[in-house]
Amino acid sequence: MLSVDGLDVHAGPVRLVRDVSFGIGPGERVGLIGESGSGKSLTALSLMGLLPEGVTASGRATLDGDDLVGVPERRLKRLRGREVSMVFQEPMTALNPLMRVGAQVAEVMTLHGRPRAEARERAVHLLGRVRLPRPEQIARAYPHQLSGGQRQRVMLAIALANEPRLLICDEPTTALDVTVQKQMLELIAEVAPALLFITHDLAVVASVCERVVVMYGGRVVESGPIREVFTNPRHRYTEGLLAASRLTPRGTRLPTIKGSVPAAGGFPDGCVFRNRCPHATEACEQEPALTGDGHAFACWHPAG
Amino acid sequence: MTGRMNASLLTGGALVGVVVLAALASFVWTPHDPTLVDAARKLHEPGGGYLLGADKFGRDTFSQLMVGARTTLYVGVVAVGIAALLGTPLGVIAGMTPRGWLSELIMRVNDLVFAFPALLLAVMLGAVYGADTLTAMIAIGVSTVPAFARVARAATLQVMVTDYVLAARAAGRGPGAIATRHVLPNIGSVLIVQASVSFAIAILAEAALSFLGFGTRPPTPSWGRMLQESQELLFSTPRLALWPGLAIAVAVLGFNLLGDGLRDFLDPKLRRIRAER
Amino acid sequence: MILYLLKRLAVLAASIAAAGVAVFAFMALLPGDPAEVALGVNATPEAVAALRTQFGTDRPAAAQFLDWFGGLAGGDFGVSYVTSSPVGPQIGDRLGVTAVLVLGGMAVALLIAVPLGTFAAVHHRNPLGAAISAASQAGIAVPAFLAGILLVYVFAVKAQALPSGGYVPLADDPAEWLRGLVLPWLSLGLVQGAVLTRYVRSAVLDVMREDYLRTARAKGRGALGALWRHGLRNASVPVVTVLGLQLATLLVGAVVVERVFVIPGLGDLLLNGVAARDLLLVQGVVMVLVAAVLLINFVVDVTYHLLDPRLR
Ligand code: SF4
Repeated sequence: MLSVDGLDVHAGPVRLVRDVSFGIGPGERVGLIGESGSGKSLTALSLMGLLPEGVTASGRATLDGDDLVGVPERRLKRLRGREVSMVFQEPMTALNPLMRVGAQVAEVMTLHGRPRAEARERAVHLLGRVRLPRPEQIARAYPHQLSGGQRQRVMLAIALANEPRLLICDEPTTALDVTVQKQMLELIAEVAPALLFITHDLAVVASVCERVVVMYGGRVVESGPIREVFTNPRHRYTEGLLAASRLTPRGTRLPTIKGSVPAAGGFPDGCVFRNRCPHATEACEQEPALTGDGHAFACWHPAG
Repeated sequence: MTGRMNASLLTGGALVGVVVLAALASFVWTPHDPTLVDAARKLHEPGGGYLLGADKFGRDTFSQLMVGARTTLYVGVVAVGIAALLGTPLGVIAGMTPRGWLSELIMRVNDLVFAFPALLLAVMLGAVYGADTLTAMIAIGVSTVPAFARVARAATLQVMVTDYVLAARAAGRGPGAIATRHVLPNIGSVLIVQASVSFAIAILAEAALSFLGFGTRPPTPSWGRMLQESQELLFSTPRLALWPGLAIAVAVLGFNLLGDGLRDFLDPKLRRIRAER
Repeated sequence: MILYLLKRLAVLAASIAAAGVAVFAFMALLPGDPAEVALGVNATPEAVAALRTQFGTDRPAAAQFLDWFGGLAGGDFGVSYVTSSPVGPQIGDRLGVTAVLVLGGMAVALLIAVPLGTFAAVHHRNPLGAAISAASQAGIAVPAFLAGILLVYVFAVKAQALPSGGYVPLADDPAEWLRGLVLPWLSLGLVQGAVLTRYVRSAVLDVMREDYLRTARAKGRGALGALWRHGLRNASVPVVTVLGLQLATLLVGAVVVERVFVIPGLGDLLLNGVAARDLLLVQGVVMVLVAAVLLINFVVDVTYHLLDPRLR
């Protein structure tokens, strides 16, 4: 359904995302993991055609045959909010403070051709569907009268309004309280058609997704079914990431990956993880290809 | 904490520098006596020792501009001085006691004074005492007090919640000590920026007042009055309006740019507090 | 909202009263007896006393104030000591002229600033946007009366297209009325428009960085559509405050521009009053102008509350 093939993202001469390829089938829930600076959010934004000014995408991405990259804005406009929707990280600022919540939900429907009255009615229904209590009342509220969790539900209602084929969530729960987080994740897993879920939190991916794509330095370093990748990581970066996140019985964290993520454009050639990898050899100065069916990885000296 | 030099700062500084230099130079030298009336040189064309020509009384325009710069800066310095000396303590007090009645009173009176623009104050003063440089300076100064008080208050509010002030208060330092040792040094840069912006406004106000005859009295040259005198000759000798007009614009632009540049240069921390225009 | 409105109205009333006390204290309680001034040095003490009674200046200051201030609401500004004619009707005649001047100037400023400021913000990365910013910076440095003189030079002296001054009442000749007001409006509006352009630009730039604009685009709006539907109202919140300040500035600017273009407005009346040392007239005009400034502040505050639900 969604297929991304050789996606690149540039900011001027700096390549922020390189040759990213993956696919999502109908109803499939895929996690896109990486630290900040890994290019995961840019990947998502390029699928929406919402890259910041001065940043451009190239390569190919299609959603059921509709091109998402390299097509004019006026064609993308028709897909955004209808065929593919997105929920952002920061619910506190993502809604227009001067507009009633119901109107903001209805807007995404009228924009894609639904009559106003019908959109209004359906907005209330949607607010109920994302489990907001007393949706009629919420529809008349302004964003500042709602909590962060409630606002994120509103964002989800907006995203679902036109029954899109793909939902993209970029760290949708990072800004929320732990208890609220859990409910939100369950809700997303339940209502999402097909899902691309972006996060740095392995536990969250494990609870929501079936398949995972691991990004580092703007590249896909490993991808596969979540159980396999988590129990048997092959790329050394994934291995380190998992080790760092796993808690010892006493609750102390294992040593994290040495060094820190380089700044954009500062990654080494060859394997991008080379300067932090304990297993790096001369061979790693050549770029490893992403190989393997189902469970794929790009590493000269894989673990396991 | 200082930043990099920037274009606004340099341009503004250069323009202000030109005005200040002209004013300073006028103390020791002007091409001609700017107040000397000489019918023989009436409307003398530019050139021949009269760089920019002479007006209907035969007074040298260039010399008048130089001394006019002096007048402008003099009024500006005194007016901004009045505003800073009155407004800063009021703003600091209001900022240090944000919930007290004193703060409330200060800000209310501030709002009231704000409703009296410089021109109205000057006209009132002029109607009663007769207008001159002094009434103009007082009027502009008093009407600028609210801007200083507001900016000082906003900056003080921010400084009061910083760790070092909280520590000083915990250590039992009195408000006087906190105000002089912590607040004033930290809001200084904001006040300097405000002073520069207020200076630009003071120049505009002074020009308007002397244009209306509520400022510096003749024969002391002033840009505003030069403009007023030029108006009747606009059909025949437009250059008489051009030069003082340009001088005003250059001075105002200079101080505005200087204010913008200083804001970027001096203190990025408090940049959110905008100078009041 | 109602509670807020009532509270704000009370503040407005109190401010106007306080301003009244300030103006009265300053103008009326001064050395110099209007009766003596009116009659000259050769007047008999009896005549002076009689005139004093007629003026009412023999009564205590508080009574005089209440008399004067109480009359204002009904348009009674007292009777001039100099011309012996009532001040109120004179002010009334002129108020309309000044109001037309100020509102027209504001309209010009808005017509300039909203499109240009928005354009400069949207194109803040390219030279045209930067040029608009620079031009507005330069415009700020030009006082309104200087703009007036320049406009007269260009349109009246050189092009001979518009009158250099004077005022024809609307009832006499609408076309001439309009022709006479074009340059004064432009003088006020161009300069304020330059100032306002900067504020509109920075407000729109701030809004453009807001997440909800990205949300709007994610819904399927184009960049400009999102800005139009979600940005401009948000950007107008800070701009409204500036507008209020500008209206006040324009009111004062009008005093000077009326002098440049010989327009019989409040400013002209005020300056004539000063020239004639007609203190009661000056007092009245100042009071009207100050009350207008306070009223503008009131309207701005209320508008602000209407625009932003977070304040309700
Ligand atoms: S390719 Fe080499 S450097 Fe990269 S992860 Fe594998 S072992 Fe480490």
